Amino acid sequence: MTLILCVWVLLPIYLLIVNSLSTPEEVIAFPKRFFPSFNVASLEFFAGFSGIVKALQSSIIVATITMVLSILIGAPAGYALSRFEFRGKTTFRVLILMTRAFPLPLLALPLAIMFIRTGLDDTMFGLALVHTMLALPFSVLITFSLFSGIPIELEEAAWTLGCNRVQAFTKVVFPLILPGITASAVFAFVISWNEVFAASVLTIENRTLTAFLLQSLDVSPMHLKFAGGFVLVMPALIFIFAVRKYLFSMWGIANR
Amino acid sequence: MKNPIKTLLMVSLTASIVTSVTQADTLFWSTQAKPVEESQAMRDQVLANAGQAVDYQPSDPGPWLTRLNAELEAGKGTIGLLGALHGDFTSMNPDNLVDLSSVDLGSADVNKTFTDLGMLGTSEQKYLPWMQATYIMAANKKALEHLPDGADINALSYDQLISWSKNMAEAAGEPKFGFPAGPKGLKHRFFQGYLYPSYTNSVVRKFASDEAVVAWEKFRELWSYTNPGSTNFSFMQEQLLSGDVWVAFDHTARLANAFNQQPDDFIAFPAPAGPTGRGFMPVIAGIAIPATAPDQVAAKELVAHMLKPETQIATLRATNFFPVVDVELPADMPAAVRISGAAIATMSGSADANPGLLPAGLGDQGGKFNQVFVDSFERIVLAKQDIRAVLDDQKKALQAIMEKSGAPCWAPDAPSEGACPVE
Repeated sequence: MTLILCVWVLLPIYLLIVNSLSTPEEVIAFPKRFFPSFNVASLEFFAGFSGIVKALQSSIIVATITMVLSILIGAPAGYALSRFEFRGKTTFRVLILMTRAFPLPLLALPLAIMFIRTGLDDTMFGLALVHTMLALPFSVLITFSLFSGIPIELEEAAWTLGCNRVQAFTKVVFPLILPGITASAVFAFVISWNEVFAASVLTIENRTLTAFLLQSLDVSPMHLKFAGGFVLVMPALIFIFAVRKYLFSMWGIANR
Repeated sequence: MKNPIKTLLMVSLTASIVTSVTQADTLFWSTQAKPVEESQAMRDQVLANAGQAVDYQPSDPGPWLTRLNAELEAGKGTIGLLGALHGDFTSMNPDNLVDLSSVDLGSADVNKTFTDLGMLGTSEQKYLPWMQATYIMAANKKALEHLPDGADINALSYDQLISWSKNMAEAAGEPKFGFPAGPKGLKHRFFQGYLYPSYTNSVVRKFASDEAVVAWEKFRELWSYTNPGSTNFSFMQEQLLSGDVWVAFDHTARLANAFNQQPDDFIAFPAPAGPTGRGFMPVIAGIAIPATAPDQVAAKELVAHMLKPETQIATLRATNFFPVVDVELPADMPAAVRISGAAIATMSGSADANPGLLPAGLGDQGGKFNQVFVDSFERIVLAKQDIRAVLDDQKKALQAIMEKSGAPCWAPDAPSEGACPVE
């Protein structure tokens, strides 16, 4: 089972790497080679593609702001949903999901007009706000279930031992849910990283890598599609790799 | 983990504030030259010597239009120059485009037919032609031995194309004709500009005529020898290069890679002819300045630069779109230009040539107009529905579009008083 899952995930990535390291002739040839010829011409093309470094920077910055904002806003909302009873709680939960009910192409026009008028237009922060809105439902619902999984008795015990509400949270609950927070942060990061439409409408100078490349890639020749895909996927993979220990600890695998 | 994130947030906030202030480059907002190699060539070869800093940004038509509309609505913009297809401009409100008749074109002799199209039915020059292309056929030389007896590759008929495709399918054991019927394929242009004019000498008037039924029957026959993967093909150069397809119809810019990568293996030839001639149509891209452009003087200078003969040649090299001004092409053009250029010349110079014009005057109904042809294709060819019934059905949709837009007939349809009638 593990093997199938590994192949499921790794095979496409492997093929992506093989094809980005092949010559154009090898990419369209069939049957496919299993070992690349380590031709870096396609990748070199992107290294010299004007604006790509700046776009990569923008992508990382926007995704990071999105990640931080969605945790800062989402986690308290998730905590409130799991710990407190208040009027309209169910409605609130549905409303959170509703933010995903409107397709972005529909929202983009009014958003862009508002952004141009308020000066948020073409800023990474403005785009990050939009991406945060997209990521929030996930971070609220993920943290909600995380907090619900931690018995209130643990917090109550901390209170009886002299902690106030905030201390109980930071000293007892927070360490327990850290892996989950990481998971929802990864989610937010990936949502922002992958988003194209808002990014290409709301930013010009500060385009994210996805907006910058994706619309061009689907009409580019095969070998550049692979190389471009490689350029798009790698940073996100590296990021997930970097935070893997927080994810592993959530699934009960020993901290490494 | 907390502190580094905090630092990063501070850095990124500062960065996003700082970077948003400056910039005075002219923003060239385009739906064309989107493939990465083409946009790179646009930046390096076409716009580098424009005499001003130009930021070339290609994007999909959706975000392109949304951004433009947002700037127009907000009354404040960053886009300096628009680059798009004729059809994209016709669907816009002409009031939002600046009059370009004051642009000093110098010695450039711009094609008159195209300049007239750029008026968009007003008295002002709303857009200027930028570059042109058309659709042709391409074949792998392997396919030539299967040509039916007596067929001249430069004067094929649709019947000959069908028997050729049949021969190839039998010889290769699988269909080798390819058609760009994928989601991003330009199939509707084949019906509007090639099949209908070749069989009915019309696009709108005789949409549901008996001749049109014959045309669809022929296409259905051709489809039976067409690679079934065609519903997934959008850029025939890929399937030609991979060998999935030996003969294909597509946009010149979407065949260019095949000619450039293996110039000795592929040939280009004119589209086939039907009972009413060899129908074909041009593709025209134009440049325009939106009313909200931040610096109209700089934008107009850029327009003039784009139409200089030497820029037009550089554009041809970069995008495989041909010049719209009179130029003498140098001898060292890329293979795709030489090969497809010769085929285009043969096609337009053929005795039975029946050139059509782009749909004009449809306004925001242009997308729906295309959809009529795409729907007819899907129902007749893919779903195998009765041709007569489908055409009678789609005719109503077409009639409604023509009446709503009030567009008069364009070639090859005979001119009309008022909206072009569907007979």
